[in-house]
Amino acid sequence: MTTQYLTGPLNVGTMVAIRNSGFGRGMIVEYRGPLGPKGARVYGVEVGTSPDTSYIEVLEEQLEAEPGDRSRN
Amino acid sequence: MGSCIRLVPPSCDGSCRVECLFAIFNIVLRASHRAITVPSAALIRWRSDRMPRLAHTDAQCSLLYAPAPDANSPPVPLPQFAEESLQGYVMLVSGHFQGFCRDLYTECAQLCAAAVPVTMLSTVQSQFTAGLALNTGNPTHENIRKDFERFDFPLNLGGAAPENPPRVTHLGHLNYWRNHVAHQKATPPPVGVPAVLTLADIRAWRASCDGLATALDDIMQQELTRILDASPW
Repeated sequence: MTTQYLTGPLNVGTMVAIRNSGFGRGMIVEYRGPLGPKGARVYGVEVGTSPDTSYIEVLEEQLEAEPGDRSRN
Repeated sequence: MGSCIRLVPPSCDGSCRVECLFAIFNIVLRASHRAITVPSAALIRWRSDRMPRLAHTDAQCSLLYAPAPDANSPPVPLPQFAEESLQGYVMLVSGHFQGFCRDLYTECAQLCAAAVPVTMLSTVQSQFTAGLALNTGNPTHENIRKDFERFDFPLNLGGAAPENPPRVTHLGHLNYWRNHVAHQKATPPPVGVPAVLTLADIRAWRASCDGLATALDDIMQQELTRILDASPW
């Protein structure tokens, strides 16, 4: 069974926080597609401050978009 | 009766009919599931999106080659853009195969991460994505092995099927030419690598990538079944 979404994927460039994570704010740098369990959307998120940034791939349900951000397509 | 296949598990001493029935049911269920198992989302995309895109590029490239004057002579390429088109084609084959490998890796990593407690989820995801070779490097046999062996098994892509050793060789040639084009090198290729880029070679490399994609999907299906104790897709 595939995960059903009522909205489009989050936009690249959206500032987000990752739930249950020690990372601070991050930015979506890539939409990886419905590659999670049961077709859940996966995003590549860059966290940390330049030049010490890290890349992590997380599920949409783990992300909290910052309020006021034009986060959806 | 003598010609029937004995389905009772080897551990059975004949005193446990119900347990045996369950064991047999489980064996049959697993066997039938293997026969009808669906591929990963990464392989579905490879087959339904990436390969058709490459087929369109192939069709475009083949238009640039005039038909052979007779059966014994090779096709004559049109001078304009033929070489550039082949160079573009080789970059796309390598790029799409890299995309498939990254997709499959992400899919496998997210399935494994989903099996840990939610408080550890981002920790595991972070470990799976740190320093991935395929995120920055070409889809070489070495980079594929390096990344997929994070799932704690020795990846023997060449030994997975009798057709795979020449496919792995083709992958090496593809990546050599991918770099040759990307860096616009003037040095001749080493011995064993085709000296000139041809449409026939790129077609063979694309077919090999297709075979390797299926093989890698099958290997990861088996490994994730071992890790998760359930079929992953």
